[in-house]
Amino acid sequence: MKTPDLKKLTDIPMEDYLVGGHVACQGCSASLGLRLALKVLGKDTIVINGSGCMTLLPVYPTTPLRVPWIHLAIENTGAAGTALYYALRRKNIKANILGYAGDGATYDIGLQSLSGAAEKNIDMIYICYNNQSFGNTGHQRASSTPRASYTSTTPVGKVEVAKDMPAIMAAHKIPYIATACPSYPLDFLNKVTKAAEVKGMAFIDLLVPCPVGWGFDPAEGINIGRLAVRTGIWKLYEITDGWVSLTYIPKKRRDVSEYLRAQERFSHLSERDIEEVQAEVDREWDELEARGYEYELGI
Amino acid sequence: MNTRRMITGNGAAAWGARLARAEIIPNFPITPQTAIIEEIASWIASREMDADFLPMESEHSVQSALAAASSAGTRVFSATSSQGLMLMTEMMFVTSGLRLPVILVNVSRGLSAPITLWSDHNDVLVQRDSGWLQIFCSNNQEVLDSVVMGYKIAENSDVLLPMMINLDGFTLSATREPVEIPGQDEIDDFLPAYNPKHTILDPKEPMSVGGVVFDEYMYFRSQQRMAMQNSKGVITDVCAEWEKMTGRKYGLVESYCLDDAERALLICGSESAILKYAVDKLRADGEKVGMLRLRTMRPFPCEETLNALSDVEEIGVIDQDISPGSGGIIATEVKACLGRGVTSFIAGLGGRRIGAEKYEKIFGRLGRDVEEWIF
Repeated sequence: MKTPDLKKLTDIPMEDYLVGGHVACQGCSASLGLRLALKVLGKDTIVINGSGCMTLLPVYPTTPLRVPWIHLAIENTGAAGTALYYALRRKNIKANILGYAGDGATYDIGLQSLSGAAEKNIDMIYICYNNQSFGNTGHQRASSTPRASYTSTTPVGKVEVAKDMPAIMAAHKIPYIATACPSYPLDFLNKVTKAAEVKGMAFIDLLVPCPVGWGFDPAEGINIGRLAVRTGIWKLYEITDGWVSLTYIPKKRRDVSEYLRAQERFSHLSERDIEEVQAEVDREWDELEARGYEYELGI
Repeated sequence: MNTRRMITGNGAAAWGARLARAEIIPNFPITPQTAIIEEIASWIASREMDADFLPMESEHSVQSALAAASSAGTRVFSATSSQGLMLMTEMMFVTSGLRLPVILVNVSRGLSAPITLWSDHNDVLVQRDSGWLQIFCSNNQEVLDSVVMGYKIAENSDVLLPMMINLDGFTLSATREPVEIPGQDEIDDFLPAYNPKHTILDPKEPMSVGGVVFDEYMYFRSQQRMAMQNSKGVITDVCAEWEKMTGRKYGLVESYCLDDAERALLICGSESAILKYAVDKLRADGEKVGMLRLRTMRPFPCEETLNALSDVEEIGVIDQDISPGSGGIIATEVKACLGRGVTSFIAGLGGRRIGAEKYEKIFGRLGRDVEEWIF
């Protein structure tokens, strides 16, 4: 595996393969995530998109993409990746295959197709841009939505906890899995590099704060992502051949209230609700500290 | 070199894919289609066929894989049936909308519920409006021939539409018939390698495929319609070339004893063989009856049907399908084409036996613009 070599922001390649002029919302971290990933993956990359916010990037007859891009439907990014891998091999075309699909398209409707590609360990990079809801249709509940979050279909807050998608992927024994957030571009891009280098399927769950769905000022997107990580709510880690390794450990975790109170989707939470979230996060980190920040997942 | 073998309809479909040098075979098992993909799997394993066999997790994924692999410029093939075809529905429209020359064999089987394993045509006809060319085969030889010709038609730059080739479950899929298998050299001359000029996923020439359109949508649909219209001429040309090479004649329709016929039945698929037998028997008794088999459902052979039936007084249509609340789907199409009434017979649903003796009786019940169920 090539050693990821991005140490400072100026190490990030200047080239862009997702260029300006597209119609993604102001402050959209999903388009930022794609733009960043393509900088590292380069021109020899083919993007497969599952229906969602990012499907609105190419609007006929224009496209902001300077790499090949195909969108078929919402639930088949894994299946398309499988076929494309074999087709490119037949055509003798060397290219990264990047699946870029939202959390609804990944955790929910596309899980079967993704599982099929993972079980076959298809050599592709699958990035789930995770805004924790069906964002493009207006922020409806998904299995990726965190407990207590308001969505337009959970008007009093979601009751259930979010699915542990990285663990589901780990159960498929794929070689590389990571979580990331565009607010930490070096961490994210070094993971993309590893994902591209690894032979077989790599999965990255990319938290993308959504100003429209989550309810915050578009200028705050990067800060919200940082708060998600610094409060310990969104953990940055990778799973390499079944070994979990945290890639960012907050020295002193910020109070979860800083993250939750900054978003309208949690505005209905009482002080007691927030204390419960804090207690849950503390418990998780206590467990992590006890077992060490690097451990075998044992799935 | 040509060989003659006793093979099933499923075997003939597999041979078609092999001779056409299909490269990517995404697949999912479903009765009564499974033997097609099993045969292909065994040929790939024994290196008699050079293709990638992709066992997918659902038929939806199969159709998605067909579209993706075809977008990357490879020749693709798969087969399905009934519920499997239904699960593909969303992607059927995507494949045709992206103008990808995918070949899909459907082994027809009635739809659940209740569950039936036996053949009728409701599964195919659900996809009637999906923008796919649709061929109904009447025997195993026609299955093989249609698959090979299918690529040449679908890949024609005036067409660029996917094609569904139907064979009737069990009646053809599991029945052995003598089939002429053309030599590979002959087919290689007939069907050159697929080299798409348009949609292709290659970093050397980046393209965004499957994006959003606004007002232009209707133009794209209009082009699909034009392609479907173009396909009539292309099908005729390719069939003529095939006839020259093999001596076997195909077209959009097959006429049987229609020249002086006073009464005629329209039909699709393998039941036409039994209907021909009934026509022969009635002709021996001096009755002027005939048959028209619709070989293509899309494009609908309206002109050909009008020409074939211009002097026929009484017309009946056999539908092995039903659109509850409307009637026989093919009868509805035929009425719209002819501009006059026909007698509509609903028969053979879920593979229910019709038999030559019933066809003889049906010929005696024409001349009424009604729907009749033949149990």
